[in-house]
Amino acid sequence: MDRAVQETDYDAFSCKVSAIAKHYLPRQVSGKEKEEGEFVQLHMAYAQGLKSVSRRAYSKVDRAVQSAQPVMNYGTYLRSVAIDEAIACFLKEHVKSGAEAPVQVVNLGCGSDLRMTQMLSQVPHLKWLDLDFKESVALKSRILENNPLFQRELGPSESVETAGYLTNRYCLTSCDLNDIAQVAEILKKFTTQDCPTLVLSECVLCYMKSAESKALINCIESFYKMGTWISYDPIGGDDSADKFGKIMQTNLRESRHLEMPTLMVYNSPEKYAQRFNTAPHSTSIVTMWQYYVQSVPDEEKMRLKTLQFLDEIEELEIILSHYILAEASWR
Amino acid sequence: MKVDETIALLRQGKQVSEETVYTLCLRSQELLMSEANVTRVDTPVTICGDIHGQLHDLLTLFDKSGGVENNKYVFLGDFVDRGFYSLESFLLLLCYKLRYPDRITMIRGNHETRQITKVYGFYDEIVRKYGNSNVWRYCCEVFDYLSLGAVVDGQVFCVHGGLSPNVTTVNQIRAIERKQEVPHEGAMCDLLWSDPDEVSTWSLSPRGAGFLFGRNEVDQFLHCNGLELIARAHQLVMEGYKEMFGGGLVTVWSAPNYCYRCGNVAAVLRIEDGLSREYMIFEAVQAQDDVGNAIIPTKKPQMDYFL
Repeated sequence: MDRAVQETDYDAFSCKVSAIAKHYLPRQVSGKEKEEGEFVQLHMAYAQGLKSVSRRAYSKVDRAVQSAQPVMNYGTYLRSVAIDEAIACFLKEHVKSGAEAPVQVVNLGCGSDLRMTQMLSQVPHLKWLDLDFKESVALKSRILENNPLFQRELGPSESVETAGYLTNRYCLTSCDLNDIAQVAEILKKFTTQDCPTLVLSECVLCYMKSAESKALINCIESFYKMGTWISYDPIGGDDSADKFGKIMQTNLRESRHLEMPTLMVYNSPEKYAQRFNTAPHSTSIVTMWQYYVQSVPDEEKMRLKTLQFLDEIEELEIILSHYILAEASWR
Repeated sequence: MKVDETIALLRQGKQVSEETVYTLCLRSQELLMSEANVTRVDTPVTICGDIHGQLHDLLTLFDKSGGVENNKYVFLGDFVDRGFYSLESFLLLLCYKLRYPDRITMIRGNHETRQITKVYGFYDEIVRKYGNSNVWRYCCEVFDYLSLGAVVDGQVFCVHGGLSPNVTTVNQIRAIERKQEVPHEGAMCDLLWSDPDEVSTWSLSPRGAGFLFGRNEVDQFLHCNGLELIARAHQLVMEGYKEMFGGGLVTVWSAPNYCYRCGNVAAVLRIEDGLSREYMIFEAVQAQDDVGNAIIPTKKPQMDYFL
C-alpha cells in the first residue's frame, strides 16, 4: 500500500510536466515572465535528474506525458494554480515588507513538488519543511544534490543523513505521517511553534485511514499557535445517484492497488471541511470546477482554450467537481 | 474478406489484419460515397448517440435494442476516441453497414477527424495495436465520407452537434462539399460541434469550435424545415438523454460510465411509425455470450485521476 501511495507522486509529477509541455503551466501573469521561465527550467531540470537517478520512474513519467489528454492538463493547471494562489494569499497576510518576522511552510507528502525552490528565493524569511516517505525523500534529495541549478537556488545541503536535504531554511526529511509521535518530534526539531505556519497536503489525506488522518490533523493544529491548512483532495460525491467516487475507488484498487479509505466519508465539500477542527467561518472550500468558473480570469480561460481542443465540457465539470481545495485557518 | 467472419472477430474484441481493415475501409468508402450529405431514413428506427470506443457497451446496445438483424439504426457519430476499443467499434459498425446497408446510417461526429483522433486516443490505439499508423489513415479516409445528418420520415433531423448560423434549411446542408477533413469553422464544423443552451441567440461555444444555440434557433429551424425534432448527441448526459425546448430537441448519449469513470447511464431513442418516442436506458455491464461468459476479455484500463 505504501508503495502504491508513493508511486502516485509520479502521476502528479508527470501531470505537471505534461501541462508544462503543452503550455498550460505556468500561469501567465504579466510582469512575472522571469519566474515563469524559472518554473519551466526547474521542472525540466528535475525531470532530467529523475532520468539519471531512476530510469524506471522516468519512463513512467515519460509514458504518462505522451498520453495526457486535455481534461488532465486542465485539472493539473487548476490544481497547481489554486494551491499557488492560496500560498500567495497566506504569505501576503503574514509577510510584512521590511519586517523580520519569519513564516514557515510544512509540506506533507511533498513528493516531487518543487514549490520550495522559488518560494524560498522570493520570500527571505520563509522556512520550508518537506516531508515524505523515506524512498521519496531519498529520490528527491539525490536529484536536488546532483543538479547545479537546485544547488544554486537552495544552497548546498548540510544533511548528514543519506536521504534528506538540509540548509538553514530548507529541510527535506523522511517521516511516516501515520506515526504521530514521529511527526511531533520532527515538527519540534525543524519548526517553530509560535510562527505563522502554512500546512500543505496535496493528495495526502485521501490515502490515509480516517483515524490516522484525524490524529495527524489534531497533532498539527494543536502544535502551531497560528496556522492555515491548505489541502487538495478528491471527494467521492454525496448524491446517491453520483457514482464517480465508487467507480474511482474500484478503478484505482483494481489497476494499482491504491486505496482511498475516506473518499466516501468526506465525500462533499461540507463533509470535507469537518476534517478540520477550525471554526466553520475560517474554513473555506471550493471544488476545482467552482475555482475554474469563478477564479480563473477570462484572459486565462481564453488562453487555455487555444492550447488544445477541449471536447467535453460536461466531463470536465464532472471530474473537477470531485476535487476540492480546502483552506482552514486557526489561531 | 468475409464480412461475417470479421464481424465475429470484432465482436470478441480480436484484432483484424491490416489488409482486412484496408479492404473494409475501401468498400465502406465506395458505399458511403453514393450517400447524400443528409440521408433519408424511415421509421421505425433506433437513434444512438456517442459510442467512443466502448465496444462492450456497443454490444449491449445492440443486444438490448433488438439487434441489427431486425432493426434500423442511426448512429449520431463519435464512434472513436476515449474508449479502448475505438477501432473495433468503428469497424463493427462499418461491417454491419456493408452487411445490412439499409439498416445502418452513420453520421460523422467531431471526433471523426485526423486532428482530434491524434489528441484523444484513436491514433495512439492504432499505433499500440499495429505498430504503425496505416490503419488510422485508412479509417480517416472513411471519416471523410460519413454523412453529416439524416432525416427520419421527413420529421426528425439527426445530427451530431447541432445547428449553424450559416444553415437555415436542410437543403443547404445537402449542398456542402463534405468529403474533406472537418474545417475549423463554417457550416460543416458547426453541425459537428455546436451545443444547445439557454441562450437568446447564437453565442460563442466554450469548446472553441461551433456555437451555442437556443430555443429561438431551434424553433426557427424546425418551422422552416417542417420538422418536429432535432435528435443530436455530442454532450454527456448523466441520465442518458435530455429533451429541451419543449421537446423540440433531444440529446442522446450512448456511452454508459463514460471513459470508465463518469458513472452515467446511456440511452437510445426509438422512433416508431407515427413518430412516438421511446427511450431505452442501459448501464455499463460486461457484455456476455449466451452461456454467461464475457464476450471480450476485460483488459482493465488504467483510468486517469489526479493523484
